[in-house]
Amino acid sequence: MVIGLVAASAIVIIVLFIFIKGISPFINDYQGSGNASLLKFITGFTWTAGNYGILGMLINTLYLTLIATLVSSPISILTALFIVRIAPKRLSASIKSVIELLASIPSIIYGLFGMAVINFVVKNIGNLFNIQTAGGTSGLSTVIVLIIMMIPTITMISITSVEAVRQDQIHASLALGATKAQTDFKIVINGAKSGIFAAIILGVGRALGEATAVSMVCGNAITGPNLNLFDITRTLTSTMMLGLHESSGLDYDIRFSVGVVLMFIILLTSVTLNAIKRMLEKK
Amino acid sequence: MENNQEYDFIIKNLNLHYGDNHVLKDINMEIKHSRVTAFIGPSGCGKSTLLRCLNRMNDLYDICRIDGDIFYKNININEMNPVELRTKVGMVFQSPNPFPMSIFDNVAYGPRCNGIKDKATLKEIVTTSLKKASLYDEVKDRLKDNALGLSGGQQQRLCIARAIAIQPEVILMDEPTSALDPIATSKIEELIDELKQDYTIIIVTHNMQQAARISDYTAFFLLGEVIEMGETSELFANPQNEKTEDYITGRFG
Ligand SMILES: Nc1ncnc2c1ncn2[C@@H]1O[C@H](COP(=O)(O)OP(=O)(O)OP(=O)(O)O)[C@@H](O)[C@H]1O
Ligand SMILES: [Mg+2]
Repeated sequence: MVIGLVAASAIVIIVLFIFIKGISPFINDYQGSGNASLLKFITGFTWTAGNYGILGMLINTLYLTLIATLVSSPISILTALFIVRIAPKRLSASIKSVIELLASIPSIIYGLFGMAVINFVVKNIGNLFNIQTAGGTSGLSTVIVLIIMMIPTITMISITSVEAVRQDQIHASLALGATKAQTDFKIVINGAKSGIFAAIILGVGRALGEATAVSMVCGNAITGPNLNLFDITRTLTSTMMLGLHESSGLDYDIRFSVGVVLMFIILLTSVTLNAIKRMLEKK
Repeated sequence: MENNQEYDFIIKNLNLHYGDNHVLKDINMEIKHSRVTAFIGPSGCGKSTLLRCLNRMNDLYDICRIDGDIFYKNININEMNPVELRTKVGMVFQSPNPFPMSIFDNVAYGPRCNGIKDKATLKEIVTTSLKKASLYDEVKDRLKDNALGLSGGQQQRLCIARAIAIQPEVILMDEPTSALDPIATSKIEELIDELKQDYTIIIVTHNMQQAARISDYTAFFLLGEVIEMGETSELFANPQNEKTEDYITGRFG
């Protein structure tokens, strides 16, 4: 109870602080640079000192997360199914511990891996198709890093819900002459779908909020949206993370405004996805 | 193997182990076509285990080892594809276990898995199966509703409809009424009475009256052995074995 209250009020204080910092660029006068225009902020596509538009990177954030989710979800679900239902016990135990390990690796390590390996691979893929990349830093690298980071999260929670599917349902299906594969897809995945969906929601949250690793491979484009995956890109988080190195003033405070937008987006996504989840469960 | 149309199952020298546990001991048995056969006996004596041998559900347990032969319509079931065997030998479980999907989808599940896609055909199968399971009138206006919203007795009849929908020749029932109240139980018993015209039925039951009421043949099990098997009326009126008599008169078990 008490701990819950402390935690809840801590969250409220943090959100409030960021929110107050975040609206300050639009109302306060900053010596020398005036204040930022809220309209430009929300509708602008370019991000430079004194010119702060987030619409482009907002689209990038959603776009890259969507692609990463579409790729990582089926991989994760099939991995979970393989671990729980198909692999022999010892193999599945070892894959499971590898995935747990992957889930606990800090994002900076994924970022380093992205810079060293994924960028290189993307650069070469680009070369293969005669596409010039900025040394491989690109939307594609960002998506791949996100996918690698989402898979352990989604898989681990999916495993729990796949394991929770009742044996009597599985037996009923097999006794009706369903094959093992039909049973796995129609009964096991279907029975685990609400847990799997919760896992995806968590993965999406992780992807939307991932800053470190993304900043290291996205290239920080000045204007957006950057829908070509071989182009450099910029996300809300990478903007907060890099670029402007002051510790006060408009350039500094406006990053809190981006933070407010990010929090809002994460909240909105999670509410939407949860609504979809509830609709799925009703069916 | 002699060509025998009279029996759906012929079981020869069947021994079954779960690990070190010798659960079925030297079972020899014939199951007559188009009759109701009841398995009775105290808890843990292997009735469900033998039932699960007949549609090879024991394959699912790694620790299970089976010796001996079971013939289904003169074919050794180990030489059959288990999926094919299970479409001919349906099963209804002890506690109702409908899938968390609509009533229609529950019944259509087996046919769909067997490759039937045509909507009209599926609808036809679902309707007939529900009618055969005496459930149609109660659910015809809510086929799209989730099956978990049905009462326990309705759920069990749905499970029977689901088993019928794959058009089996044999239906195995493992204590299908043990989780139900007396009214739902008598409905299921009436249903079995109707179904026996079209199907061979093997039913496990703890309820002696039930076995006497609905079955043509009864097998009495004790500690993994078949002590006695015969026509139900005979076995209940004139048990040959003392242990059978003790059991059916309720002196133990
Ligand atoms: N999957 C299994 N793994 C290991 N042992 C099992 C398994 N299923 C059953 N047994 C064992 O086999 C024996 C027979 O069990 P079975 O379920 O066939 O008895 P039953 O006659 O159906 O009893 P009941 O009337 O209580 O249902 C029991 O000792 C049980 O513990
Ligand atoms: Mg049993």
